[in-house]
Amino acid sequence: MNAPTSAEVVVIGSGICGSLAARKLALRGAQVLILEAGPRIDRGRIVAAFRNSPRKSDWMSPYPFSPWAPQPEYSPKDNGYLVQAGPYRYPAEYIRAVGGTTWHWAAQAWRLVPNDVRIKSLYGVGVDWPMTYEELDPWYQEAEEILGVAGADNTGSPRKQPFPMAPVADPWAMRRFRERLAPAYPVVANTVARNSRSYGGRPACVGNNSCQPICPVNAQYLGINAVEAAEAAGVKVVPNAVVYRIEHDAKGRITAVHYYEPDKTSHRVTGKQFILAANGIESPKLLLLSSSDKYPNGLANRSGMVGRNLMDHPSSSLTFYADEELWLGRGPQSPSSINTMRDGAFRSQHAAYRLDFTNISQVLSVTEALIAEGVYGPEFEKQLRWRAARQVNVKNVLEVMPDPANRITLSSEKDALGIPKPEAHYSIGDYTRRGAEVSKGDFAKIAELMGGTGLRYSPEGQFANNQHITGTLGMGDDPAKFVTDRFGRAYDHENLFMCGTGVMPTAATMNSTLTAVALALRTADHMVPRKSAAAGSVTAGGEAVTS
Amino acid sequence: MVDKLVKAEWGQEPANPARRRVLAGFLTAYTASLVPWALAQPVARPEHGAFMALSALLAGRRSLDAGLAARLHDALGTTYPHFAADTQALLTQINQQHIDPSQLQQALDAAHSPLAPLPRRIMRAWCLGLVGEGEATRCIAYENALDAVVVADVLKPPTYAYGPYGSWAQPPVAGGGKAS
Repeated sequence: MNAPTSAEVVVIGSGICGSLAARKLALRGAQVLILEAGPRIDRGRIVAAFRNSPRKSDWMSPYPFSPWAPQPEYSPKDNGYLVQAGPYRYPAEYIRAVGGTTWHWAAQAWRLVPNDVRIKSLYGVGVDWPMTYEELDPWYQEAEEILGVAGADNTGSPRKQPFPMAPVADPWAMRRFRERLAPAYPVVANTVARNSRSYGGRPACVGNNSCQPICPVNAQYLGINAVEAAEAAGVKVVPNAVVYRIEHDAKGRITAVHYYEPDKTSHRVTGKQFILAANGIESPKLLLLSSSDKYPNGLANRSGMVGRNLMDHPSSSLTFYADEELWLGRGPQSPSSINTMRDGAFRSQHAAYRLDFTNISQVLSVTEALIAEGVYGPEFEKQLRWRAARQVNVKNVLEVMPDPANRITLSSEKDALGIPKPEAHYSIGDYTRRGAEVSKGDFAKIAELMGGTGLRYSPEGQFANNQHITGTLGMGDDPAKFVTDRFGRAYDHENLFMCGTGVMPTAATMNSTLTAVALALRTADHMVPRKSAAAGSVTAGGEAVTS
Repeated sequence: MVDKLVKAEWGQEPANPARRRVLAGFLTAYTASLVPWALAQPVARPEHGAFMALSALLAGRRSLDAGLAARLHDALGTTYPHFAADTQALLTQINQQHIDPSQLQQALDAAHSPLAPLPRRIMRAWCLGLVGEGEATRCIAYENALDAVVVADVLKPPTYAYGPYGSWAQPPVAGGGKAS
């Protein structure tokens, strides 16, 4: 492999956060190299693989598995990569490929609500963030302009500048939810990185209803768009480069990283500054793997918090038949929410949550149910149409509090290259479970207002996971309690920075990508400050993509 | 997709009318009464007869894609060694015992019949395009599997564009395609 052996900035991981941080640094003149464990993949092949997949409800199924860069898979059986230590299973999913996990996401690009960053001060739970919401605002704005975010102002997250785009048009079904649940519940358009008009050289959404696993037309922003933008800015990306060790000098400065090619040929890459952006599971794994005589508990780990405070968003849900034909599956998959329970004094007692309505076509699940029930003959078609037109689902997106016992560690099991697998220790606490219990009252009321029949609650005490891997590299102002400072710099290593959802000190109730991107842009700005600050710039960094 | 399916219905004329076989020849008076619309449907190969008759009974559709029928038959036959014999046996049982398709699965399950898995295998093939078990499952059809065809006037299969931006804001109009 004829790959560079040094760079000014070496980034580990080519996901949306690492790539956009890399791009920002390159635009400011830095020579940047991204090392990505997985291969390059192609959108058209993913679309074809999905259409040919025997497991269409498994959104990982169209993505290739690389033995040298394994990713967790759970169907048709658990591939055992993310080892489960319990007591509650944590079946996280992520993609190891150029572009990372936002190849498939719902593109929900929420901001926090302001009180999320003061949850300890206001409600006595969790931890405060080492910054105010107002400090985040310009970084959110910059992230939103790069991603192309469409949204409305009625979601509880204030802003100083307008959204880049108007909200995506409501699917008919969501309009009916909004009309029928008012005034008890305000149903609002989700804030999404999905084009409601041509933007950033990408087209408006045409309703393929496959945002997960893949947007076929490039109407929603994906990690691969970030990679391509980084490359356009001069960043070099090396795929199939599995970083397995981070090397430091006697003073604790990071000097190099070591990576394997798929055939286990090893390479050493030196740099001046380093960004670890390999997600909330692989990043702490790599820090723990890189232990040395000087750092026997792993790098960046003087607090002992590397890998700890693992959070995500568990969901319970209600599925029912509405009393009118709604036909989910027309338009994008995740259009609407109820945001009224994202904040309030109740947070001292139980988890906040967002209520999320799916617009995923119900045809597959209804057909599977009819076959399982043995409904044949003319009744099959009649039932399929009746159910597919009326079946709807609402779920909660519950906040989880940071708990050091929930953590990623190194397993004694090893992958094909001999690298220890990550091991998840996870539980869902009473605070979150109480929130789930409260939300059942909302579920029942929503079903009642929609004339619901055939109510099916998700099994008691069981939660679906939302793949919002958060908190294992938490940022904060106390080096004894947090892994990184408020800019994502490792307390133990002055030239090591971390980008991604792992640095978020709490998970709040929103999909975590936009916040992680905003923080990554802020970190990059801190690493290489802009030489001449342009007063009055619309964006924080002045480097956003515009239409 | 829909236009293609309509043209490729089971009722297509075979290339040589002299060799024409029709489904009626594989049915008894009872099963013929369940699918009167299908009696004149040609059957491409004699070994397909029982499969197509059973498919018509289970799916309850006026038309089934002839090309897809052949591919599903071959895939099921390759996957399940006794598929042809089981299919013939189940069709015979339905004929002899006058089993209503809507009661078929319950009857087979209650009797712990060795044929009980067969209707689900055939329906899974037609409706989801899937043949086989577990890791060996193969996807034979997607856009023209029955679950897509049955709702094609209202929905597109995921990954296919619904229509111009915002077209989904209009109320769905069943039977007449989407509103414009």
